[in-house]
Amino acid sequence: MIRKLSSAAAVLLTSSAAFAASHADTSVTVVLSEELDIVDPCEASRSNVGRVVLQNISETMTELVPGEGLQTRLATGWEDLGDGTWQFTLREGVNFHDGSAFDAADVAHSLARIKSEDITCEIGAKFFGGTELTTEVVDDHTINITADPVQPILPLLMSTVTVVPSDTPMDSHVETPIGTGPYMFDEYNRGQNIKLSQNENYWGESPAVTDATYVFRSDSAVRAAMVAQGEADIAPNIALQDASNPEMDFSYPNSESVYMRLDTTMEPLDDKRVREALNYAVDREAFIGTILADGTLLATSIVPPSTLGYNEELEPYPYDPERAKELLAEAEADGVPVDLEITFIGRLNNWGNVTETLEALTAMWEEVGFNIDLQMVEVAEWLEYYSQPFPEDRGPTIVAAMHDNANGDPVFSMYFKYDSEGLQSGVRDPALDAMIADATTATGDERERLWKDIMHYIHTEQVYDVLLFHMVGFSRVNPRLDFTPTIRTNSELQLSQITFN
Amino acid sequence: MKSFLGKRAIASAISLVGLVILVFFLSRLTGDPTDLYLPVDASQEARDNFRRIHGLDQPLMVQFFQYVGDLLRFDFGESIRRSEPAIDAVLRGFTWTLQLAAITMALVTAMAILIGSLAAFHVGGFFDRLATFFSLVGASAPDFWIAIVAIVIFSVNLGWVPTSGTGGWEFWILPVAVLFIRPFGLILQVVRGSMISTLSSAYVKTARAKGLRNRPIIFVHALRNAMLPVITVIGDQAAALLNGAVVVESIFGFPGVGKLMIDSILQRDFSVILAAIMVTAFAIFLMNLLIDILYAVLDPRIRY
Repeated sequence: MIRKLSSAAAVLLTSSAAFAASHADTSVTVVLSEELDIVDPCEASRSNVGRVVLQNISETMTELVPGEGLQTRLATGWEDLGDGTWQFTLREGVNFHDGSAFDAADVAHSLARIKSEDITCEIGAKFFGGTELTTEVVDDHTINITADPVQPILPLLMSTVTVVPSDTPMDSHVETPIGTGPYMFDEYNRGQNIKLSQNENYWGESPAVTDATYVFRSDSAVRAAMVAQGEADIAPNIALQDASNPEMDFSYPNSESVYMRLDTTMEPLDDKRVREALNYAVDREAFIGTILADGTLLATSIVPPSTLGYNEELEPYPYDPERAKELLAEAEADGVPVDLEITFIGRLNNWGNVTETLEALTAMWEEVGFNIDLQMVEVAEWLEYYSQPFPEDRGPTIVAAMHDNANGDPVFSMYFKYDSEGLQSGVRDPALDAMIADATTATGDERERLWKDIMHYIHTEQVYDVLLFHMVGFSRVNPRLDFTPTIRTNSELQLSQITFN
Repeated sequence: MKSFLGKRAIASAISLVGLVILVFFLSRLTGDPTDLYLPVDASQEARDNFRRIHGLDQPLMVQFFQYVGDLLRFDFGESIRRSEPAIDAVLRGFTWTLQLAAITMALVTAMAILIGSLAAFHVGGFFDRLATFFSLVGASAPDFWIAIVAIVIFSVNLGWVPTSGTGGWEFWILPVAVLFIRPFGLILQVVRGSMISTLSSAYVKTARAKGLRNRPIIFVHALRNAMLPVITVIGDQAAALLNGAVVVESIFGFPGVGKLMIDSILQRDFSVILAAIMVTAFAIFLMNLLIDILYAVLDPRIRY
């Protein structure tokens, strides 16, 4: 009997060793938090799709590199021809995985496809909503792209557009993405894994990773355990409580910023003193290291510090409940109904410990005299308050939100969140609208200066919202890899940037 | 028997139609999938386009009759999220769930009958107390907790089995073991109770008086008569597993129909929700039919 049990244990141990070291030395396994329901490159702005497809399978014309700015990729150069038209020069000698040559017609087709009315492409909906794009193929390796209204950051926006061959269907998503990237899409075993292998004919340098397998586990503890066990090499997204091994776990700014959107069109939130009081009443430091991760940064803008025009001179509002009470008393003396009930809308599962965060905020605001009604709701109901048109029968409302901007430029954030026409804006300020319009069309140093001015105007002069935190994410990486997660890890994971120790 | 089967089929078909109508309208009450699918920054133009492509801009009754019309041609619709026929995704998931449920229930049934019968034979003995203790603990412990603890102990600390995923036989050990515990505890208790009652009946005493050995008394004569209530509970437990072992499938990354159904509900992928419910309902109908037939096989007094 004992001999039989020993044999069984030996078989188990042998097989367990086999699955822990089942991959080749140059293969990597990435464990993602959710299965990809779709693998079409035109959905690569969705973080789970982007981590597999973006720059691995499908490449973009330009590429935003943290710390280095906008770089060339499939385009080797670009020039502003004026009137909203940019001319891009394309890289020569590039082929798609199916062997066809990459040229300007592919770029024109890719732009038309992300705006196609017959399929839903998130890249088009997210980055080019309300923008008309027209293309003119000058020659095989030169293309003019015109944006209406004018987009002075069109080269930056092209870092979001994945280029597909010109025979990619306009009316359906593809199940086998074809691109020009360093990796080819081998197979998708639905529910189990996705496999990529190296593109031997890649135009760039040959990467160290030869092939990759993506698996899906919804439980953070399991993802962390898989890397610890050697079953996976990278878990790009694990929960704070599972990031317990300093040798494997990295924290990184994940480009998400938490802010409280105020409806400044309604009493008492239309009074600047009331908005200031909301800011002074919050003990921001108390959240960090308790219900939010260590490393979380205090925010003075809705975009992360790596964004163009981020104003480093702004200081977060200090915790000063006495000052908050004084401001409320001043406003009340002038007839502002500061005791009016304010509806505070939070979205369930918006970020880790969101309910605890908003309950703490509610307590802090009520401590200085605000009358807050916190309501935690599902995403669809939350959107009714967050996006225009807002409910007509609403009272004064604060919406808790988390905004993601990893694009390096604040233009979309500023327009959508602060312009009078912005989809999620609680501000109606013609002066700010004009400032955003000016900054949107400016370029170079002028552009950076104008965005800094706008951030100062929003944060300090008008106090249009309660800016709270720039969040951090956690990744677990097997020590055999030389890979450090960055702000881009939230939306892409370039296998070609991984080397082995 | 034919008439019985016909009546059951008609009753099940009526239930299925009612279920489809109920789920169709209830799932629509959860809201519009557009808000979940598109980014919050998406323009109204993009939202309108999404609704048009997926027919969500049509009045609800038009959507319903369109769906019923497609269903009559066995077209279960397209998954909004997956860009594939809903029935393909569901059948793929159901195949995994069916394997998981079949292996688990086979092991559960064999072990529960064996141990429950032996426990009943020595009521109050050490073996009986041990079996009762572990079955009650198993029936009470939450799946997610057992699953995580099992991964920590057997995968992370001991390294005996993979943490999760699919592949060779070793990948099945933890999911099956975790799924095994609760139905095993429950069925073992039913077997034990039923056997205690049967073993005290007159014909068993007669068999003992005639000098028959214990093994044939327990496993041939008594067990057959004790099985009727056991089969009912086995059917209930198997139906629960066929509906998908959501927690186990989620934690172990098992691509079964339970996880698919929960994801579809959260994502408002209506076609997949409906297809999954219809497939599992049909499977449960077949299983109930099987149990009815088993009743008749085990007890000659039962005739349909």
